[in-house]
Amino acid sequence: MPSPPAARAGGIVSDVYIGGAAMTRIGRREESLPDLMAEAARAALRDAELDRPDALIVSAMNPEEFVGEGNFASHVGTHVGLARVPSLRAETATSSGAAALFAAFAAVAAGLHRTVLVVGGEKMTHLDTPRVSELIGRSIDAYERSYGATMPALAALVTRAWMARTGATLRDISLVAVKNHENGARNPLAHFQMRVPLETVLDSRLVADPLRLFHCCPISDGAAAVVVQAAPGPVRIAGIGQGSDYLPLRYRDDFTGFRATRDAAQAAYRMAGFGPERVEVAELHDAFTPFELISMEDTGLAPAGKAARLVAQGETALDGRLPVNPSGGLKARGHPLGGTGVAQVVELYWQLTGQATGRQVTARVGLAQSIGGLATSNWVTLLEAA
Amino acid sequence: MKAEAAARGGNGAARPLARASLAVEPGAESIPASRCPRCERLCAPPARFCPDDGTAMARTALPAHGEIVSFTTLYSPPTGFASPLHMALVELPGGAKFFCHGAGTRGLRPGKRVSIEAVDQVYYFSTLGLAERAALFWRRRGAPVTERLSGFARSAAKRLVRRS
Repeated sequence: MPSPPAARAGGIVSDVYIGGAAMTRIGRREESLPDLMAEAARAALRDAELDRPDALIVSAMNPEEFVGEGNFASHVGTHVGLARVPSLRAETATSSGAAALFAAFAAVAAGLHRTVLVVGGEKMTHLDTPRVSELIGRSIDAYERSYGATMPALAALVTRAWMARTGATLRDISLVAVKNHENGARNPLAHFQMRVPLETVLDSRLVADPLRLFHCCPISDGAAAVVVQAAPGPVRIAGIGQGSDYLPLRYRDDFTGFRATRDAAQAAYRMAGFGPERVEVAELHDAFTPFELISMEDTGLAPAGKAARLVAQGETALDGRLPVNPSGGLKARGHPLGGTGVAQVVELYWQLTGQATGRQVTARVGLAQSIGGLATSNWVTLLEAA
Repeated sequence: MKAEAAARGGNGAARPLARASLAVEPGAESIPASRCPRCERLCAPPARFCPDDGTAMARTALPAHGEIVSFTTLYSPPTGFASPLHMALVELPGGAKFFCHGAGTRGLRPGKRVSIEAVDQVYYFSTLGLAERAALFWRRRGAPVTERLSGFARSAAKRLVRRS
């Protein structure tokens, strides 16, 4: 039983639930971004048996440049038939979906709204890869960008320093890709639904040494939506927290993990009133496969320096003690930027309510972790089957 | 306050660079930086306000050498950069970290000491001898031969001046 409001840590006024969830197939999609968002939004409303939410919160990282549309919350509101519903857009780079969930959570917890529809998505595959990289790269500090730094470059710098400190190997970060592709092969909505042998990962071309192509997530289109509500629903949002860090990588002190994740996890656990020991399934931000290992350690799901061993021992596989990224993660399910933070929560909702056909795990508590930019604005969300 | 700043420098008292001399010898290569008068934090290149407490920072200069924190080689660099693109994060005396390019990463590892120099306002790390230095400037994309040669000549001249 949840404790009475007055005693709750983190200042929650009332409990907040997820009443419905849905997402599109992720991958290369012909539909427009508003169409993809409408598909997810309508399905989530149907799932929650809700006609009309009190508010709409949209997340997309950069619709102005990816699809040439501004004022995007109003655009989506009108497109999905919620033109008169108050709407806004939440944006924290690649973790925008989690930011939107937070905004909805806050509005419902504060009693401002009874129901909020959250819909996140992105469309990128119609642009060529250099252009997509350039647009994503704008979330990097301008000085570092002037030296040619891209997301994979910064991720490689962090990965090499982390590997030097922990002793993790190329094989360790490659096994994450093998596992997540294995899971993706069981997810009919995943961008990549194929298994990938270890050799393929190890032999794939270098992108930013030591990161190879199969250590990096794909460029994807897609959308995901959830209904956040005050009325008791199938899943409760037990805790949600954000952490921030310096925009320039060079200002940071510690390359053994991401401070923004650690702060977010601490805030989420404090609000939930429990720690990582209760988490039974996790969706982590594996935009680059070493980030899954780093994130396990940052969220306390693995002791510092031990995540690689847990993966190698199969503990994070679907049938392991703590399944990580049963959806396939960003690596295999795909990474439609502004949609990803919501898609992680949709997967956990399905896992916690027994709807994850083909990849179902046994769990009552799930953790989602989303990284914005090169870990400048990260979120951790804890969900519990109600 | 200073102990706190050293800790924030991430390098603590255990790391030699955090305590290394910040004095730049006359005529030696230096890197423009800024220091927070309140918490002593260093930023390179200079920042207007301290990212930790918002205090206006004062200009300073740091010695142009340090230790490799991490490095990578980018094989699909953005438009305007030649592939492969070698870059490194170098920790300078005082604990500030600095982003720079290099000619290669062979034999490099975190913790290795490198020197840094600017040519045409771009900073390069190196552990290099003259021959590798020549290769570095020869690869510079788009630059006419005369500019490449003059870049190399300036780099070599700086070295001689520093030695004398």
